[in-house]
Amino acid sequence: MSSFSRSAQQWATFARSWFLIDAKMQPPGKIATMCSVRLQGKHKPIYHALSDCGDHVVVINTKHIAFSGNKWEQKVYSSHTGYPGGFKQVTAAQLHLKDPKHLTIVKLAVYGMLPKNLHRRTMMQRLHIFPDDELPDDIRANLTEELPQPREIPRKLSEYTQEEIDAFPRLWTPPEDYKMK
Amino acid sequence: MATRSMLRSVWTSFAGLKLGPTGTNVKLQQRINTPQLSALTIQSRGIRQVVEKQEGKTTTVKGQILDIPAAPQPPNPAAKCPIYKWNLQNKYNYTDVLLLSQFIRSDGGMLPRRITGLCPEEHRKIVICVQMAHRAGLLPDHKPKLPEGHVSKKPKPQLNRYLTRWSIDSVKPIYKTGLKWCKKRMAVGHPALKNNVRYGVKPLYLKH
Repeated sequence: MSSFSRSAQQWATFARSWFLIDAKMQPPGKIATMCSVRLQGKHKPIYHALSDCGDHVVVINTKHIAFSGNKWEQKVYSSHTGYPGGFKQVTAAQLHLKDPKHLTIVKLAVYGMLPKNLHRRTMMQRLHIFPDDELPDDIRANLTEELPQPREIPRKLSEYTQEEIDAFPRLWTPPEDYKMK
Repeated sequence: MATRSMLRSVWTSFAGLKLGPTGTNVKLQQRINTPQLSALTIQSRGIRQVVEKQEGKTTTVKGQILDIPAAPQPPNPAAKCPIYKWNLQNKYNYTDVLLLSQFIRSDGGMLPRRITGLCPEEHRKIVICVQMAHRAGLLPDHKPKLPEGHVSKKPKPQLNRYLTRWSIDSVKPIYKTGLKWCKKRMAVGHPALKNNVRYGVKPLYLKH
């Protein structure tokens, strides 16, 4: 802000902020794009690849992550150990059984979206992933901003009040002799 | 005599009774029947209120037609399909559970088209949206009833998903995705809903 003193303006421009993202019922790919943009510092007008202007990002509730489509069955994570016959392919559902907190899914998604250079490891060190709501106190004290969720979570039928269900008009009238509804 | 006339009035009141849309019986309040009306009234010829008057020895039983506020009229009553009657074509999605729940049974299955009166294309779209809503877990109370004491052999992992086109057990993993120009994409949503109204600039992506 122009009303800040010079030192305060300098601090506000170059300080490293901490962002919070809630990944509940969100697709991990969209979460990862938001994380990668902020880890690189591309959301800042003072961005330069060499100037180490990335921020910290904290992702919570990763155990409630939601894939669109049939990606739990179709998405395959491949890796090779380096030894012959060491090509391993794991589907996202099998990875869920191995790691039900989905930390690896989010980590791999962000890792693949960061630029493929030596800065990537330092940026990954600035990414903090937690499976549920609990955060350590020092990280909680550092948080500055919470980012809006990329996907709007739809409401279940049980979450609608009876008044809302009654206010919705009936589209068709059943014939009187039809039962079994 | 008075008891017989009372019983007769009760019998006629039962005869003239119209069941509400949910099939529940209307409450009886002594000798006069006042049906409890919810906001959803079926478009019938009119519910009668039985009024009994006793003048000395004669009892007059009248059926007075109640003045019911009309149910909301559809904006396009000339159309045959309920979706077209209410101008909802291309406007609903798997998240509109209030709409979809009107076309399903209590165990989650679809009602037949000859009963609901939907046109074939809209019936297919509703079927697709209901399937996607079930897979997304938006209809938790419409699960099929399992026999008592049923224990599942393997507890299935509860995975959150949305816009699932194919059924969970029928999909195979894509082990070889291919190069970028010939990549095997993963299907999201359904092409039947590609004509839906989009209020944003971004197009609908069906292949991720």
